Amino acid sequence: MSLELKHCPILIAIALAAFLVLPSISLATEVLIFAIIALGCSILLGYAGLLSFGQAIFFGLGAYVASLSQIHLGVNFLVGLLIATAAGAIVAALVGALAIRRQGIYFVMLTLAFTQLAFFISYTLDEWTGGDNGLLDVPRNSVNIFGYEIAIDSSEKFYAFVAISFVLIFLALLRITHSQFGRTLLAIKQNEERATALGYSVKWYKVLAFVFSGSITAYAGGMYALFLNFAPLSNVELIMSEHILIMAIIGGTGNVYGAVLGSLFLVVVGDMLSAFWERWLFMLGGILILTVFYMRGGLISGLYGVFEFLSQKLGSASTQKES
Amino acid sequence: MELFFFQLLNGLGLGVIYFLLSVGLTITFGLLNFVNFAHGAFYMVGAYVTFVIVSLTGNFWLALLIAPLVIGALAIALEQSVVKFSYVLEHKYQILVTLGVALMLQELVIMIWGPIGKNVSPPSSLAGIIEIGDFIYPKYRAFVITFSALIAIVVWWGLEKTKFGALVRAGSENAQMVGLLGVNITRLFSITFGLGGLLAGLAGVLAAPLRGADPFMGVEALGIAFIVVVIGGMGSFLGALVGGLVVGVMQSVMSSVWPEGASLMVYAAMAAVILSRPRGLFGRA
Repeated sequence: MSLELKHCPILIAIALAAFLVLPSISLATEVLIFAIIALGCSILLGYAGLLSFGQAIFFGLGAYVASLSQIHLGVNFLVGLLIATAAGAIVAALVGALAIRRQGIYFVMLTLAFTQLAFFISYTLDEWTGGDNGLLDVPRNSVNIFGYEIAIDSSEKFYAFVAISFVLIFLALLRITHSQFGRTLLAIKQNEERATALGYSVKWYKVLAFVFSGSITAYAGGMYALFLNFAPLSNVELIMSEHILIMAIIGGTGNVYGAVLGSLFLVVVGDMLSAFWERWLFMLGGILILTVFYMRGGLISGLYGVFEFLSQKLGSASTQKES
Repeated sequence: MELFFFQLLNGLGLGVIYFLLSVGLTITFGLLNFVNFAHGAFYMVGAYVTFVIVSLTGNFWLALLIAPLVIGALAIALEQSVVKFSYVLEHKYQILVTLGVALMLQELVIMIWGPIGKNVSPPSSLAGIIEIGDFIYPKYRAFVITFSALIAIVVWWGLEKTKFGALVRAGSENAQMVGLLGVNITRLFSITFGLGGLLAGLAGVLAAPLRGADPFMGVEALGIAFIVVVIGGMGSFLGALVGGLVVGVMQSVMSSVWPEGASLMVYAAMAAVILSRPRGLFGRA
């Protein structure tokens, strides 16, 4: 329980700070949603060591399922999001089980092929997905419990809902990554043969990593569709997978707070820069290259480095005073 | 039946362009064990350089001569400045580095020429159609097929019959050993990388009059090149040729029946090949 006690205040503080500091609620909402999405990618890359171009599949799937279940089944937004999460888990298990049959570059190629398949399937099923135009008028059907009506009809209420989801999902993933499961994933990433020799079913661990990653990404994808009231086809594009990857890597994988930093960086800097420099992605490409060469741990490792440096400086300053 | 034959020929034309596009990717993978996600960008920049030369001079032939050289030089410059430092890294980091390069090139093109595509007209001497009996066919497409076939033969000859080709093939088997035998392996790497870029640029030149030049053709081309290389087998010249033709013909024939299905099918085929036969049709590894 101490783990949750330690991190819960930090996460709540992040959600509050995003609300208070960022110039608009919609920007803060986007930061938290993409933090969850980057976290989904970080589980695969940082813990299981799997570089996947498949995250857009789960993102787009979550958006479509959360929207369609509300439109056609009339369920409330919460049930819609839960159905989306379940769909994400199932598809992720399927994609994961197939993709991990190959390693290295072939694994990457498989995830790339699956994303393209998901894109063209979504494009072809335009009666359901709206094809090129996207799925319009996504509702936020209110929840009715014992006569109480819970609606997320204002941007403040919606932000509160996203913030609660953010805290709970991050706590759940912290618990998972600090468990034996998370440790085993790290062991597999470092030396797969040794983990196999020790008797771990490497395959199952990897598929489970996919399931966790896919389900939270689908949940966040669903929230994003509710946020925009719209589920565009670009959700399932390969470019979306690339952006999610870049976000996770620049923030730093292998640490859950790296996902927050990555999302903050891409969403906020993107928003600020795109106002006067539309082609800021040019810079992003350069930053990605520099990150891989010089700061493999991402922004989060840089931040830790600064903290360490400062505490050393302060430490030496205080000892000097004493002497 | 005539339509089918027409589409089959179009597929061949597309297929030879796909071959030129993919052969560099497959050979750099074979020799350098390097995965280049920026390969599609060479194709795109090739098309844009063609656009510039044709709109400045009105001479397509000049573009056909100069643009591939420009792209080859660009590829060597990239190899020297960024790519060569990532040879020692794991595949996943190579992918991320070249992804960054591809993103930068794409954005650079949008900064210069805008997000909307440009049209390139074919040379006037190839503007019409040719008639063989009842059958008519655009001259330019016929030219693309014959010219690319010629280039394919030159590339094959270069790889199989020259000393350079022998070094590339030997390097694919064991690069370290070739280096120990006194060959300047880093120079071999950068020349091969440059030639691969040159061929992708040439594919871009040939494709420009058929489909124009747009900033996102690089991403599309990268997807196609991966399909071709996977189906044909990583590192194989013959695989790139057969894979290119198979994908080109499949896309072209399907496009008259079920256009979206064409892309669906090639990616499904790619996944199926990796799962059932990762070596592809002709691959070694």
